[in-house]
Amino acid sequence: MSTAALIVTLGSVVLAALLALMMIPVLVWLERRIAGLIQDRVGPNRTNIMGFRLGGVIQSFADVIKLVFKEEYYPGHIQTGRALYILAPAITFSAALLAFMTIPFADTLHVSGEALRIQALPVDYGILWYLAIGALGIIGVLFGGWLSHNKYALLGTQRAGSMGLSYELPLGLAVVSMLLTYNTIDFNAMVAWQTQTVLGFLPAWGVVVQPLAFILFSVALFAETNRAPFNVVEGESEIVSGHMTEFSAMKFALYFMGEYIAMNSAAAVIITMFFGGYQLPYLSSAELIESFGTFSLALMVITPLIIYAFIRWMRRNNDVRSTLSHDGGRRFEARVLTIVLLIKLVVLELIFAYFAFAQPSALQTQIAVAVVQIAVFIVKLMLFNIFFIVVRWTLPRFRFDQVQRLGWYYLLPLGLLNIFITAIVIVGVGS
Amino acid sequence: MKIRVVQRHGTALKDRLYLPAIWQGLKITATHLLKNVGDIKSVDVLEYPEEQPSDITNRYRGLHRLTHREDGSVRCVACYMCATACPAGCIFIEAAERTDGVDEKMPSRFAIDTLECVFCGYCVEACPCDAIRMDTGIFSLIGSRREDFVLEKEQLLAHKGAFDE
Ligand code: SF4
Ligand code: SF4
Repeated sequence: MSTAALIVTLGSVVLAALLALMMIPVLVWLERRIAGLIQDRVGPNRTNIMGFRLGGVIQSFADVIKLVFKEEYYPGHIQTGRALYILAPAITFSAALLAFMTIPFADTLHVSGEALRIQALPVDYGILWYLAIGALGIIGVLFGGWLSHNKYALLGTQRAGSMGLSYELPLGLAVVSMLLTYNTIDFNAMVAWQTQTVLGFLPAWGVVVQPLAFILFSVALFAETNRAPFNVVEGESEIVSGHMTEFSAMKFALYFMGEYIAMNSAAAVIITMFFGGYQLPYLSSAELIESFGTFSLALMVITPLIIYAFIRWMRRNNDVRSTLSHDGGRRFEARVLTIVLLIKLVVLELIFAYFAFAQPSALQTQIAVAVVQIAVFIVKLMLFNIFFIVVRWTLPRFRFDQVQRLGWYYLLPLGLLNIFITAIVIVGVGS
Repeated sequence: MKIRVVQRHGTALKDRLYLPAIWQGLKITATHLLKNVGDIKSVDVLEYPEEQPSDITNRYRGLHRLTHREDGSVRCVACYMCATACPAGCIFIEAAERTDGVDEKMPSRFAIDTLECVFCGYCVEACPCDAIRMDTGIFSLIGSRREDFVLEKEQLLAHKGAFDE
């Protein structure tokens, strides 16, 4: 293995781990903050480290510290299966984490004849891995819920099991129709396929080519990841907390974090399969590498505008009403962050200027393109996560029988129909 | 017998598809979200504790107080009516003979365990002498030990009424 391959592999693994794990506190915070803002409240915004509250995201770290130091309580009525009971949350957590690992964050690098994938697991059967490992998470739920010896946990487990069955099928069917379209099971190749255009002007994103499959896929994924409106497994108002009822401290936190990682992975798979993955619309990697000088010139103009808008927004909103005498250090924080952002802007501008005016080597351009694509990927990922969250705070929960009816009576036949249509179109186009 | 046929809603194709309704709901939540993200100060909430509530009315049941007579002495006659009425059983009275000639009895100890109290106000209703009231407007009591929350006679006498009669 060459040095370049080693660096790229290590970098991808670190990036994937960061994207999955560091996303948890951000997502938990976003969830609470967005819930607040949707309901005309403000959400957590006070926890700070020396006055720095970063909009309240520090709260999540405080929560994690609290959960880590909580008393490790083991319910006395659970006599058998103690080891499995403790292992169960870890199974769910690791399954969710591993499922994220085949997502490509940028296009394949070509270094001295070697093709290096920017994927934590550089495999070419990404979607199969996701389906296989992602579905393993339910085993942790089943173990935990069954071993809890608690009727609420048992009900939650039963729901989780039947949900898993009824939504794995439409999910698989939606994937099959996408596989027919893309003619590959490799995430990278799918993204490459989506850089084409359809009808001459629309980017050939999966959502444009296969809108029905997109709806089926995302509905099934909402159900798979236990997000509202399908969170019947832990429906608080009915069965306390489902399979998590008897879990406390870090064991509970693993289930909880696993759910957010699963949501993050689901968002990553959706954007990879339906929203062009790491690609900018209309710009394939080859085009981007070719005209990267022009592109960085454009970035030189756009970045200051974005940062200016962000600073203005921050200075206006990281503040309290003028009727209050004390702002709790918010204005000071905004000033410091402004300086940090300005320094960042200068550094970025220098880098862009280098690529726009100097003569970067081919390798440098490739790396720069990869970084741009990673940034695009993260932006898309955040947007889709926010979509997940907004949906949760918009819709009430379905009743359990309604969930089952939707899965078996509507999604399953629609999935089959979609496969037929796709197959007919493909045969028609091919002949 | 008169029969009224109730029209069932939600059977049209548009309703059964469910997606248009989701879209409408998303529009509402997204509008709120974007508006509040754009201007957080427009969100109408109290910045508690820097901002204190200003809308506490004189019917608000805050912490208890023991009232005084005109001469400034305790009004309570230790009749145990409040302690009897209290559903939480959190009023502890020890009666003593009153020697200053104003009345016959007075409490030597009068304590309310506010951790048990449910702030129902029955004690106020039960009192025949208007000796206990909940018109202090105090809504937060802070302590680091459980004992801090048992208010003794001296504290209850020291609380001021927040409103005119
Ligand atoms: S408010 Fe109710 S619970 Fe509290 S002391 Fe009075 S009677 Fe008892
Ligand atoms: S506060 Fe009122 S009801 Fe309670 S003992 Fe004193 S006089 Fe009686």
